[in-house]
Amino acid sequence: MNAPSPPPEDFRARAKRALGDRNLKIALDRTTGNARTKRAAAVAAWPAFDRAREAAAAIKDHALQNFPYYLERFERNALASGAKVHWARDAKEACAAVIAICREAQAKTVTRSKSMLGEEIGLPHALAEAGLRRVETDLAEHIIQLAGETPSHIIWPAAHRTREDVAKLFAKHHRDHLLLTEIEAMVASARQELRDDFFAAEVGISGANFLVAETGAICTITNEGNAELTTTPPRVHIVTAGIEKIVATTEHALQLTRVLVRSATGADLTQYTTFHCGPKREGDRDGPEEFHIVLVDHGRTQMLEEMPEMLRCVRCGACLNHCVVYTKIGGHAYGGAYPGPMGAALTPVFDGLMETRDLPHACTMNGLCKQVCPVDIPLPTLLRDWRAKSFRRGFEPRALKLALALWAFVASKPALYRAALAVALPLMRRLGNNGWIAKLPFAPGWTNTRDFPSPAKRSFLAQVRSGEKKVGSGEKK
Amino acid sequence: MQDKSRTPRVGLFATCLVDALRPNIGFSALELLRAAGCDVAIPKAQTCCGQPAYNSGDDANARKLARQVIEIFEDFDYLVAPSGSCALMIRSYPELFSHDSALADRARKLAARTYELLSFLVDVRGFRPVGVSCKASATYHDTCSGLRGLGVKAAPRELLAAIDGLEMRPLEGEETCCGFGGTFCMKYSEISDAIVAEKTANIQATGADLLLGGDLGCLINMAGKLRRSGSATRVFHAAELLAGRAIHAIGEETP
Amino acid sequence: MSARHDIFTALRRLRPQEFSAETIEARARKLARAMQDSLPPLECSDLCENFIARVTAEKVGATVERLAGWPDLPEAVARYAEMHGLEKEVALQPDPRLQTLDWTVFLRADAPLRPDSMLAVGAARGGIAETGSLVFHSGPEAPTLYGFLPLHHIVALEARTIVARFEDYAAAEQGQPQPRNVNFITGASGTTDIEGVLARGAHGPRRLHILIVG
Repeated sequence: MNAPSPPPEDFRARAKRALGDRNLKIALDRTTGNARTKRAAAVAAWPAFDRAREAAAAIKDHALQNFPYYLERFERNALASGAKVHWARDAKEACAAVIAICREAQAKTVTRSKSMLGEEIGLPHALAEAGLRRVETDLAEHIIQLAGETPSHIIWPAAHRTREDVAKLFAKHHRDHLLLTEIEAMVASARQELRDDFFAAEVGISGANFLVAETGAICTITNEGNAELTTTPPRVHIVTAGIEKIVATTEHALQLTRVLVRSATGADLTQYTTFHCGPKREGDRDGPEEFHIVLVDHGRTQMLEEMPEMLRCVRCGACLNHCVVYTKIGGHAYGGAYPGPMGAALTPVFDGLMETRDLPHACTMNGLCKQVCPVDIPLPTLLRDWRAKSFRRGFEPRALKLALALWAFVASKPALYRAALAVALPLMRRLGNNGWIAKLPFAPGWTNTRDFPSPAKRSFLAQVRSGEKKVGSGEKK
Repeated sequence: MQDKSRTPRVGLFATCLVDALRPNIGFSALELLRAAGCDVAIPKAQTCCGQPAYNSGDDANARKLARQVIEIFEDFDYLVAPSGSCALMIRSYPELFSHDSALADRARKLAARTYELLSFLVDVRGFRPVGVSCKASATYHDTCSGLRGLGVKAAPRELLAAIDGLEMRPLEGEETCCGFGGTFCMKYSEISDAIVAEKTANIQATGADLLLGGDLGCLINMAGKLRRSGSATRVFHAAELLAGRAIHAIGEETP
Repeated sequence: MSARHDIFTALRRLRPQEFSAETIEARARKLARAMQDSLPPLECSDLCENFIARVTAEKVGATVERLAGWPDLPEAVARYAEMHGLEKEVALQPDPRLQTLDWTVFLRADAPLRPDSMLAVGAARGGIAETGSLVFHSGPEAPTLYGFLPLHHIVALEARTIVARFEDYAAAEQGQPQPRNVNFITGASGTTDIEGVLARGAHGPRRLHILIVG
């Protein structure tokens, strides 16, 4: 099997490549289809779900409305518990903070449980550059680490991989080099493979689903047990978290998990929902000696100003699972840490609008993402706002701007519009044959794969004007 | 809210697609609205609701066209359009004028009186077609904008249920986007094609004679794909069936 | 200027504090009450029955046995070990409710907890009926790793410590010091990372067996 070629740089090229990948389609259909079915069952069992979504949005908005108040409270309580709190304006500072802590701890091996923020700030790369041995412990992250890839879904990072792919990777990289066929055996193999590393690591790095202001604790919501094995045995536990993860109370955090988990996997709660507060205490038999929290801005204060609703996001992945575009092209085509609708809204913040404007444009505006979002983020509106920004900043192609301007010019002059239509329709009809146009020279995108119906001989309004309207019923089929 | 008491003055917003590509939908809408007891006018100065500009982020031109629609239609009791996406666009006008309170106010008033055709007939006029028959099987695609933006779900089905002889078959993924998305299908045509291919496979799996829907944009997207894949499924706007004007399906116009 | 300074400067500019701490926290409580008006239904009014129904559901995958009292625990654990072909030896969580029981008749209860432990026995602080969750607070009597290292995890849970909702747990903990770890454990470890197919025992226990006492 040849080594995969590096992904093409352009979104369209990546999307096209993904569309041609049959294995990807199978994997995506299975993963997202499963997720949709399970979520639907969970929602059906909760008649007040829509009201709960509104309440959840209000809980997040409350924390964001009182951002500095709650963040300060969080820091104070975290410090009081014996944690050390670090602040980072951007990805570089965040990675530097983590590396510095690792160096101070004289770490050689670092275990990691899943943290999308870690992906966002490029932590895996920074750890490698610093010469640290990074061990991903979440099963899907372990798989993609072996494959040398990045996550393609925020809840199922290895959604693009079939079981045969995984079997080959494990046979190659796991100690016993067995080629397995059963998924249960593969999971057991990963369990065995990673066991020693949990205890060998000097540092364990986790993310945080919530930062709880009232206690200074962080919350992780996982299902494998690797988060607790990553954060308990090592001497040092480092948390990397975006500042927007702040919530007021433990109660709020637990209330949010109700809608979050059902939206992500359809479960009522994940196996392991854990609040971590500070390092090992007097009398504790386990726990880290040091507990560090790296709080990261990386565009969040910018979002607070320009798109605050996006900060409600609890990273459940429901929008991905229900997006007609994501389910066709998968996560890697988006080119950033986050794919799908939430990725299309976020990536321009991190990577610049000019470079990433395909993402908010590659959307049909069908609105299902907003409907399934547990915190009611108006994603289509946010994406359209990016389009408006892109237009204002002059990033859109001149041809498009001219076409829109021409259209608006003509359409705002009814008499001219009528005249133009009277000329254009017969011309377009010439392209047609037997009611259909097989080739539209100005729209090959359409007619490459679809026919286009021939337009009417005369427009509706032209017919109305000349009184040609037929009153009464015609033949029935 | 039902308003069956008087003869409301309705301004029919044809939509640019109906106007240029399929006038029969406009005439069907006209007949249905009249049958529902409305006094219908078709303002000749209408052109476009501004959606292409709006969805491309060209707010300036979107405002230009929005202003025109407001001016033309604001004196009617209702604006009715045979399209969920255009009706939703017009209902979104107030957002375009957040910096102009006078226009925002006019936009809000118009938005409150703007309806998609099928939901207007059922939810406002309590209308059902009488004496319409069509002996065929059909399946229905819910337009996303109408469904999620305007709550149009039951109305088309209630109307179609009144057609004698029409056998409605459920469409797998009836609420799943068809991949049209306005400018999306041109800009990201390969992704759009992958989406509509799945939609048309579901349509063909129903074995229905007819595909029906409430938005011409969606319908031409699906019809064009069905045709290219050699399908015999005939495609109509639901209004055409309801008005008894379903003679030539999309693409069946004789030259 | 420091990162902390810059971040707080921006936050204070965008969200200046308009209300007192008391007002803000009252609002937070009001929002929590609002959420309480939109709860998912419980299956039955009996909290223990509800807990059992949720925790034994396929998607959670735990097994349950009801015992009359704590003294019945050692025999129940020995039976479990027998049924699963395990050595009659357990790592015992240092909870006095467990330590004071007479294990010796049935098995060895002095095995150290190790990464490859086959069977550990723990005692939960409480349970949450709405999700079938066990609650643990870390401390000298409840090291975290008992819940995560063994392949089989047996947990004693007193029926009277089961509360209905997360909100009940939060209310009970109001004003109490925050432990280092609070674990809500709901079923056995699992993953659907490979093709969306559920497999148990990813890193945590493959099996969770709950002995409900009383």
